[in-house]
Amino acid sequence: MFVIITYDVGEKRVGKVCKKLREYLDWTQNSVFEGEITKGKLTRCLAELKKLTTDDDSIYIYKVENPKAIEKIVYGKDRSFEQLFF
Amino acid sequence: MKRDVFMMSGGRLKRKDNTLYFVNEEGLSRPLPIEQTDNIHIFGQVDMNSSMLHLLSSHGVQLHLYNYYGFYDGSFVPRKKQVSGFTVVQQSSHVWDNEKRMYIARQFIQSAVHHMQRNIRKYGAEEEVSSYIGTLSAHAALLDEARSIPQLMGIEGQCRQVYYGSFNCMLKGGWKWEYRSKRPPHDPINAMISFGNSIMYTAVLSEIYKTVLDPTISFLHESSSKRYSLCLDIAEIFKPLITDSIIFNLINNRRIQEKHFDQEDGLVYLSDEGRKRFLAAFDEKMKSTFKHRQLKRNVSYRYLIRLEAYKLIKHMIGDTVYKPFKAWW
Repeated sequence: MFVIITYDVGEKRVGKVCKKLREYLDWTQNSVFEGEITKGKLTRCLAELKKLTTDDDSIYIYKVENPKAIEKIVYGKDRSFEQLFF
Repeated sequence: MKRDVFMMSGGRLKRKDNTLYFVNEEGLSRPLPIEQTDNIHIFGQVDMNSSMLHLLSSHGVQLHLYNYYGFYDGSFVPRKKQVSGFTVVQQSSHVWDNEKRMYIARQFIQSAVHHMQRNIRKYGAEEEVSSYIGTLSAHAALLDEARSIPQLMGIEGQCRQVYYGSFNCMLKGGWKWEYRSKRPPHDPINAMISFGNSIMYTAVLSEIYKTVLDPTISFLHESSSKRYSLCLDIAEIFKPLITDSIIFNLINNRRIQEKHFDQEDGLVYLSDEGRKRFLAAFDEKMKSTFKHRQLKRNVSYRYLIRLEAYKLIKHMIGDTVYKPFKAWW
């Protein structure tokens, strides 16, 4: 499945959450990650995030079951992060 | 979903925040999600340290190295978690017993010939190719009568000769096939075949490592020392199915041209740009999926290779008789 995760967390925890998500997904913009992920891995990722955050923080997950159903349009500079070659 | 990444340029691969970062020569650092990575292929000059390798190991990521000319040098593979002495003993016993060995070896060639014929039918003009397909069938019919591995290898060689002979009917846009030459390849088509095969072998090896099979014990090729000969066996099935069809696609759709090759004193190699184009096509193909008849779900070509290994295991432990994959569409 394809997910987009956005988060709004306390200033102290921004870095921690960002680092954790970098293990699982591609960083798109500040506080935004996206990418394909399995259910199991997403569950594990969220369980780990839960340890880092408090009840006041919020994490939004947008799930798209069929990755083909999503269309991404970029205005301005496209910093494509998912890359084959380095 | 898990992806392969190719490091073509120089730089440093490091571990930071429990994930991977690639720092290129200009010092630009890019994060790579470790959970999304399956294989890392290194073509350029890349620095790394052991803590990075520990990370790869804990996530089961394999790292493959290629030399300047794009030939496979070796891999870093995490400690094998799937081991089964029983299966290895069974695997060996199928080599020891000539009848059993011949059965498996024959299946590999039959499947390979099936895919060669499929390519000829698909890419050739109808009036020209029927004789090639007929000759291939005639050669393949001899497989049942072969009594030894060298005989099988002989038939395989003849089939391949016929197959290569038909290349001129399949290639468009002024590309001419002369003869097969390796070490070193003498023309662009040979260069692509060699490069494609070496990528194919690593792809097969990386899938075999995920199963309990021992990659050194093989059936069609002799299990000698110093190489993973089971990869060569299984790759026989997939070379015409995957690598060759990529080559035809690249050439016939003019996605690769003369300028994508480097020539040095009669040796021909893919240039950096050519290599990138080839690898992009390879990756795209391996990721693409089709509906599997028995499993009744979509599987990718990469997973198909592992399924082939599973079928071999099932055959060797006496579960189901091995039937090689034959594309039916």
